[in-house]
Amino acid sequence: MDQQIVNAIFIGSIYALFAVGYTLVFGILDILNLAHSAVFMLGAALTYSLAINHGQSFWVAAVLGIALSALMGLVIEHVCLRPLRRRHAPPIAALISTIGLALIIVAAVEQGRPGSLTSSLWVDGANSVAFPAGTIPNPIWHVGDLTLEATKVVIIPISIALMLVLGYVMRYTQVGRGLRAVAENPRAARLMGLDVDRMISLTLVISSALGGLAGILFGAALGDISPYIGRDNVEVRGLAVIVLGGMGSITGAVFGGYLLGMIEVLAAVKLGSGVRGGVAFAALFLVLVLRPQGLFGTRLRERI
Amino acid sequence: MGETVDMNRMRLVVGLLATLVLAACGSTGTPGGNSGNSYSGKTIKLGAVYSITGAGGVYGPQSRDGALLAVKQINASGGINGAQIELTVEDDTSDKAISSQKTQSLIQQNQVLALLGPTLSNSAVGAHPLAESLKTPMLATSTTGIHIVPDCNAPSTTPCKYIFRDSLGEQTAIPDNIMSYTNDAHPKTGVLLVAQDDKFSSDGGKIVQDTVGQYNIQLLKTIPFSKNDADLSSYVTQAVGLHPDVIFITSLGGIPAKIMTAARNQNWQGQFLGGNGFNTATVSKQAGAAGKGAPSASAWYIGNTFPSNADFVSAYKAEYSKDPDQFAAQGYTGLKILATSRRCGSSRWMAPAGSSSITRSSPAR
Repeated sequence: MDQQIVNAIFIGSIYALFAVGYTLVFGILDILNLAHSAVFMLGAALTYSLAINHGQSFWVAAVLGIALSALMGLVIEHVCLRPLRRRHAPPIAALISTIGLALIIVAAVEQGRPGSLTSSLWVDGANSVAFPAGTIPNPIWHVGDLTLEATKVVIIPISIALMLVLGYVMRYTQVGRGLRAVAENPRAARLMGLDVDRMISLTLVISSALGGLAGILFGAALGDISPYIGRDNVEVRGLAVIVLGGMGSITGAVFGGYLLGMIEVLAAVKLGSGVRGGVAFAALFLVLVLRPQGLFGTRLRERI
Repeated sequence: MGETVDMNRMRLVVGLLATLVLAACGSTGTPGGNSGNSYSGKTIKLGAVYSITGAGGVYGPQSRDGALLAVKQINASGGINGAQIELTVEDDTSDKAISSQKTQSLIQQNQVLALLGPTLSNSAVGAHPLAESLKTPMLATSTTGIHIVPDCNAPSTTPCKYIFRDSLGEQTAIPDNIMSYTNDAHPKTGVLLVAQDDKFSSDGGKIVQDTVGQYNIQLLKTIPFSKNDADLSSYVTQAVGLHPDVIFITSLGGIPAKIMTAARNQNWQGQFLGGNGFNTATVSKQAGAAGKGAPSASAWYIGNTFPSNADFVSAYKAEYSKDPDQFAAQGYTGLKILATSRRCGSSRWMAPAGSSSITRSSPAR
């Protein structure tokens, strides 16, 4: 059972890191960025491609992968969100436009084959690929009955450190105060001299960098990189996590990520894989019924 | 076999399968057998639906390459009674619905005479009944699940007339593999890890469950999972925690390699046993050292010294600069079976005047 708890903490860290980016955008903009799972996938795919097809070391590829994911945040803002915001479109329009962008990103990667337009980014089409052994150092430690793989263990401190840094930035820095001001009331923030568009761009950049990093860690640890890893593994789960934790709450996203990881692993062990997803979403349903604002939410506003 | 790993394949060579199917198709066994009907200047359109990408992408490309090599050889030697073969290969992306769509499109739009494929049993469940209903021969080169041939319309027991295969069914492969390993190592206990949402994998699981008792292997637990689960660690931890002598893996694509790696990382020292899903160098390469020594039954063996096999291996190496695998061999053989069959599914090939293509005498579309 101890090993299963380690498994749960590991997968929970991935969920948490992904969900923090998800909830950050929701907290600031009051919209769900459903392109976040595509950015998760893009981070992993670009890092793999840079390392394997373009001869970069994994570390350089990972840094570039995070940077390109962050850049994708700007694309989301400038293509999907800002034009609609200018037209005072309802939040549902932004939500749909991010779904559209996610589909385009996945389709573009899916079509990436040698000789195709996107071949410089990805050449494996719909295939699932993994970093060849040796690309990433992965020492394995055996502590008592526990098996600890470096590529999985490292996710935990990275996730916790980044979430602590983000929490600190949001709470104690000028940028964080600006972001919270925009979240509270964009119009008032603008009247107080804040560049709201810049703040929103910054939010998308941070969120997407975290999403891309989560994807890279996922791909490195689980050996599964394909156009569908975001859709199949974190898209709906990320939503469940932020609802469990309380939408817009970074603390809630962290807690929700680990909680979902634990619920899923325990369900798989005790009840079988068939109910793994079902139990997780039953918990989500219970939270929605009993505490709609989530475990760490303090208020409930009308949101899409 | 394999590039970095020597997955010690059971040398279960079932070389006469092709001959059996040839008999079913009523072939003369030689290209251009219909000597009374010259096809000179005509084109024989054939199709193939393979999983070039997706979960079956570790198998489909080799089948395609094998089939294309056969086309090249046949055309270079004068074709079929003078007619050149034109093979259209479609990628079903390992998706059942797309596989059926591609099959229908090849039959109704491209007007192919016959098809190879699909790669996966899960896709064959849709594509084969469709080809049967359109009365177009379809020869499976890698589908090995239960009810592929001849009862492609299961649970209907009426035999399908147009569906054939040159692949080795798991109902033969898995029991023979278990028998062979049991004779050597006498395992007492086993755990089955099975992808429950894929026909090939779940069929393999049923076959393992039905077989282990015959060899006094106690199946401690069956652990089902989804082929879409990226994180298999909780399932592998469960399996390893039961300390079995054998872990049976019935799954496809990169999943067996992930399970092997995770189990070895957890210091498990037992034996992995599998089915056709293991039989490609791609899986061996992915598994690395973790897959070393994992046996599986195979319809084909690269070291087979039959002249026809040796010729195929050397031609494939010359064409693609790499060794063929079982899937390449079955694609190659499958295409040759189609090309040499002039009477498949109760229809004959004809060369109508004024047409550039060969057609069947009893088209049903």
